[in-house]
Amino acid sequence: MNAQVPKNPVFFAKTVNTLVTDENPIVYPKILYENQEYNLVDHEVELAFIISQPCKNIQVEEANKYIEGYSIFLDITARKMQISDRNINLPWYRSKNFDTFGPIGPRIVPFNDIEDPHNLNIELSINGDFRQQSNTKYMIFKIPEILSYISKFLTLFTGDIVATGTPSGVGPIQPGDSIKASIEKIGSISHKVILEKDD
Amino acid sequence: MRIGTRTINPTKIICIGTNYMDHIEETGLDVPKEPVLFPKTLNCLISDNEPIIYPKFLFNQRKYNRVDYEVELAFIIKDKCKHVPMDDTFNHILGYTVFNDITARKMQAKDIVSKLPWFRSKSFDTFGPIGPRIALTDEIQDPHNLNIELKLNGETKQFSNTKNLLFKIPKLMEYITTMFTLEPGDIIATGTPSGIGSIQPGDLIEATIEKIGTLTNKVVMEGE
Repeated sequence: MNAQVPKNPVFFAKTVNTLVTDENPIVYPKILYENQEYNLVDHEVELAFIISQPCKNIQVEEANKYIEGYSIFLDITARKMQISDRNINLPWYRSKNFDTFGPIGPRIVPFNDIEDPHNLNIELSINGDFRQQSNTKYMIFKIPEILSYISKFLTLFTGDIVATGTPSGVGPIQPGDSIKASIEKIGSISHKVILEKDD
Repeated sequence: MRIGTRTINPTKIICIGTNYMDHIEETGLDVPKEPVLFPKTLNCLISDNEPIIYPKFLFNQRKYNRVDYEVELAFIIKDKCKHVPMDDTFNHILGYTVFNDITARKMQAKDIVSKLPWFRSKSFDTFGPIGPRIALTDEIQDPHNLNIELKLNGETKQFSNTKNLLFKIPKLMEYITTMFTLEPGDIIATGTPSGIGSIQPGDLIEATIEKIGTLTNKVVMEGE
């Protein structure tokens, strides 16, 4: 992606209309599919952590007390739209927040069940071909730093979801694709991509 | 949350950037071809008469120590909807209220220049005062002809009329719901007119929209 190494974590928002659970389809919006300017939608597999209690201004050393557990998150992104918005200094919002652009699951593994969340294999395959294969040890900002940084700005609430970023290998999805995303010790989520139907 | 006598449970706040011609001229930004959307998260919401907290983290850093008011007309979604045609818009709106899109301006400007997301500058706790009440759609026949004003310590800083909105409510509704499902209680803030400027701890902000009322909030320093 040729992005620069950030000095601080870069964060953006996905709204809750994006969330879908394991085995539910990712709906490819027609307005993207039918528009040559926008017809590229990418997968991004990420380790997510879930907040256990309201927190603000948390120190790095205390961050673990506020984590309920871990899950798998797919940050589905309308890439051409994101790039075109970014090039004219517009917010990263619409490209990230179409309905179903945030698959999550298949379960929340409790905090205590994963001794080291920074040493988990993470991978994504499309129709059985691996596209992303990495390990959470390569994350630039570790979970306690991320939680501490975000909580300087925002109060986090019980159940809030923080997705920690994706490794290399992002690429396009198409209607008909079967996506499987796995993280060691958590499990797998599977989603079929379907084209949005006419009203 | 309660707004006046009504309780709403929003799942998201969607704001429209650069939507008044007078504000576009003031900022020197391009006239957008489509509505510019960005989110605020729910931690920013506060009611009438609750304090806006000026984060120390911003106050103590010269590169970030400017925080601005932005008065806006907001509408509240009545029912779950997607792909709403323009002529069906008002069937999906519960009513209107006043919203103040508090913004860490220097942080936003810096993030924009670096092509980073507009998120952290917009979503500090208490950066989204809303109220004092929801005026139902049958109380306001024409939401595009309302005076909108913001006073800082009694002095008028923003004064315009919602007729100057570049994208009107039906267009916004159609555009947003082409992409996203809206849920009951969701808040759409329609953008701010010209006259934006900075706030300081100790300031009193009164944001008024004709036929809705006045949203009043004091600015306090974090931890005080």
